[in-house]
Amino acid sequence: MSGSQSEGKVRVEYNDTVVRWFLLATVFWGLVGMLAGVVIAGQLAFYQLNFDTSWLTFGRLRPLHTNAAIFAFVGNMIFAGVYYSTQRLVRTRLASDFLSWVHFWGWQAIIVAAAITLPLGLTRGKEYAELIWPINIAVVVIWVVFAVNFFWTLAIRNEKSLYVAIWFYIATIVTVAMLYVGNHLQIPTSLVHSYPLFAGVQDALVQWWYGHNAVAFFLTTPILGIMYYFVPKAAERPVYSYRLSVVHFWSLVFIYIWAGPHHLLNTALPEWLQTLGMVFSLMLWAPSWGGMLNGLLTLRGAWHKLRTDPVLKFFAAGVTFYGMATFEGPLLAIRSVNAVSHYTDWTIGHVHSGTLGWNSFMAAGMIYWLVPRLWGTKLWSPRLADIHFWIGMVGILLYIAAMWVSGITQGLMLNAVTKDGVLAHPNFLDAVTTTWAMLVMRLIGGAIFFSGFVLLGYNVYRTIRSGKPVTASVEVGVRERMKPEGMGLWRAFWNAPVIYSFLIILFGTLWGLGKGAVSTVSFVLLVETALVAMIHMSVSGAKWSEWYERLLQSWIPFSVLTFVAVVIGGAIQILPLVFMDQTVKEDGGWQRVYTPLELAGREVYISEGCYVCHSQMIRPFVGEVLRYGGSGRLAHSIYDRPFQWGSKRTGPDLQRVGGKYPNLWHFQHMMNPRTTSPGSTMPNYPWLFEERADWEGLAKKIEVQRKLGVPFPNYTQEEILARCLEQGRKITEDLAKSGIEIEPDRKIIALIAYLQQLGQYEEKPVGKEVGMGIVGEAGVRSGVLEPKSEGELGRK
Amino acid sequence: MRSEMSKYEANEEKELRPHSYDGILEFDKRLPNWWLFTLYATVIFSVGYWAYYHWTGHMEDGWVRVKSELEAVRLAALSQGAPPDDQQLWNFSRDAKIVSAGEKTFRATCAACHGENLQGGIGPNLTDGQWIHGGRPMDLFHTVVNGVAEKGMPTWGPVLGQQRIAEVVAFIISKNPTMEKPPGGGDVVQ
Repeated sequence: MSGSQSEGKVRVEYNDTVVRWFLLATVFWGLVGMLAGVVIAGQLAFYQLNFDTSWLTFGRLRPLHTNAAIFAFVGNMIFAGVYYSTQRLVRTRLASDFLSWVHFWGWQAIIVAAAITLPLGLTRGKEYAELIWPINIAVVVIWVVFAVNFFWTLAIRNEKSLYVAIWFYIATIVTVAMLYVGNHLQIPTSLVHSYPLFAGVQDALVQWWYGHNAVAFFLTTPILGIMYYFVPKAAERPVYSYRLSVVHFWSLVFIYIWAGPHHLLNTALPEWLQTLGMVFSLMLWAPSWGGMLNGLLTLRGAWHKLRTDPVLKFFAAGVTFYGMATFEGPLLAIRSVNAVSHYTDWTIGHVHSGTLGWNSFMAAGMIYWLVPRLWGTKLWSPRLADIHFWIGMVGILLYIAAMWVSGITQGLMLNAVTKDGVLAHPNFLDAVTTTWAMLVMRLIGGAIFFSGFVLLGYNVYRTIRSGKPVTASVEVGVRERMKPEGMGLWRAFWNAPVIYSFLIILFGTLWGLGKGAVSTVSFVLLVETALVAMIHMSVSGAKWSEWYERLLQSWIPFSVLTFVAVVIGGAIQILPLVFMDQTVKEDGGWQRVYTPLELAGREVYISEGCYVCHSQMIRPFVGEVLRYGGSGRLAHSIYDRPFQWGSKRTGPDLQRVGGKYPNLWHFQHMMNPRTTSPGSTMPNYPWLFEERADWEGLAKKIEVQRKLGVPFPNYTQEEILARCLEQGRKITEDLAKSGIEIEPDRKIIALIAYLQQLGQYEEKPVGKEVGMGIVGEAGVRSGVLEPKSEGELGRK
Repeated sequence: MRSEMSKYEANEEKELRPHSYDGILEFDKRLPNWWLFTLYATVIFSVGYWAYYHWTGHMEDGWVRVKSELEAVRLAALSQGAPPDDQQLWNFSRDAKIVSAGEKTFRATCAACHGENLQGGIGPNLTDGQWIHGGRPMDLFHTVVNGVAEKGMPTWGPVLGQQRIAEVVAFIISKNPTMEKPPGGGDVVQ
């Protein structure tokens, strides 16, 4: 160490108190999140577990489970791991105790607020971004507190150079901030409701840019950072390869951002974006496996310890699951595979091999390693931890296997067309009843996994009781405490590796998205630059690595470069859609502006979380067109804030459900789905028949939508109420013919109005202002007619 | 720090980077070849995939693609004995693949009597809007299937089968200026 000739020594005491609190929060929210998972898995198999109670219904609890598991459980794990390891890796105490505590309590308050609002049906209707806008603001504030606390700690560090774990933490902090803000641009209409700035396809693209990269930069990069600290610590082995760290870090953060559109394969998303999403997912395979290799090969020479050390067992299995999930991911991102897997349980299984296998096991390893050290004692029962490991393993395998079987079955059954040109399984429920046993098996697997985590909770509790909090410290030389010398921004950017990377990205983009001569010339330049860069690197490789080592001593340039790397992909994908011309002819019909009552119904649809089980996007496959009608196009959702394309079909697609069934059908179906659809697993919604729809709030909602460019007429409050009443009465009068008495202001009436207009498109858009650029390259299409008759075929 | 390193074998020691973070050391091993190969292979595949599908415009819009797939399924269903209808035959006539298949059959089987350009010869003209045995798509279909014995039109049903006959009819409709609108005269669909 360079500071060996120091004159004096200073003892620096780490802030381990806040780490302890984050760790306990991790265990607590882990139990809550997983329990919620078991409950909703039960509801999917046994609808009775919804208890006919609004706040206990799947559509509201599912967001609670995902948010608790991701942001509460893994969130607290990240903060515990980052704060513990960063202090030691840069040999200084966290910059501010105050900020650390604001961070801790702020985050817990956010979680509690989420746990209250989601069951109440207060939601933004976007997956993993459901929390309402006041909570969004709190999240941003607390994330900034975290960022300030972290970067301030780097600024006062006593270690010149940044270790690879820190790189991943930096990438996490800057990217999550960018994604979160981008996907939460919205205009409030009340204290608990808002509309996203973007609609339809734009909203879809921004959502999955965010959603996919929440997986990348919340569930992956911080955990890789944690892996890089805790695995070599626990194995007492050096990290396998520094240069692999460098290569896989930069390729991972750069490529990940581009892969979001693979969540929208075979939808109305313009083809060029779908193709980008697919190829970047494929290119993500090796960078992801770079992380797995560095984790697993670090264990080389320590494999024998796996037999006795539960910590290493969890780490080895966790990293292996990471490798499996990141192999499966690119596979599922291939268009034709996605045609089968999308909207099915396969995706659910894929996610859980990541969250249960990678996140929960890495968390368990970290917790078992940390708790004895933070409380100055030994783990109460390594044997119990060992049992936890095997129980968890059995649970995961049951879970994933069940989802593979049911997912592939669903995909094949629902797409199957017979030789006679008709659906092999015209009744959607065939697929539900066929895969029902797998849902039970998933429930069992999940419950077993949860019980393993309960053992962890008990083990942690006993371990803590057997010790007491200890605070670690480190001695640093006074001279080391001086500001580490680094590199200015200019030196960081004006450098061969950066310039080559920039040119390659620039020419690659111009080649891929440019036209004619621009494209051809760019391709030549791309190949040339790549060759020159390779030759240059082999000549002056040492100088480049020297530059990189200097960069590692400069946290600001490093963070800026990371930010640049993660900004590019999103910018190239999203900006063209935002600024594209808005008036292009579409031939599949245009969405019409909602009537006030339909809008009120749409709010019910979103609030109840219908989108977690029903898509509104028919894919261009024969089976889907036969079953549901013509495939979805951009112009079908131009006014939809948020978009409701969905990501899972536990029930059938609803894009064109309007007019398919009489009002009475919907009425009875929502009261008890099994009266109209025997075998359905959908919950009953009795409260929709009691509660009044929010007609009064419509004025403000319509006003905000008008501002956003939706061509609503300029209604007065009285007109809105009058129209709601008029349309509501039409429905109630229709229902009265069958002897049903109900007030027109009930939620069910609004919902029926909304459902009945789904798929009722207009030939021309209303007015010139459509309010969004819906046109990608795929916007210009040849005139093909709408196969409505096909739809009717599937409706028999 | 040297003492930490001595735990590792002598040849491994050379590969260690000269810096420890909280006791964590790093090797600087070469990237595994198979890993590098995977990285390069996916990049090269991606460039090629993009070039083939996007750059050269091979990627058909799903909206367009599914329509012709659907017609193909319908067509195949005919060979299973499912009868076509007016609308379906007309839909076929707007599908380039089906029409060109029909054209092939026409040239091989029908052109001898009805002319290369459907202008007629031994048999009547098929483009003049005059239909002796009915001008709806299904009329044409039945005429080909059953033939018109008294006029010398053979019975093609058992020879060509429903599918190829539907293709031929689609071809004839596509060549017929009087049949640009779908049957029934109204809007096709919508």
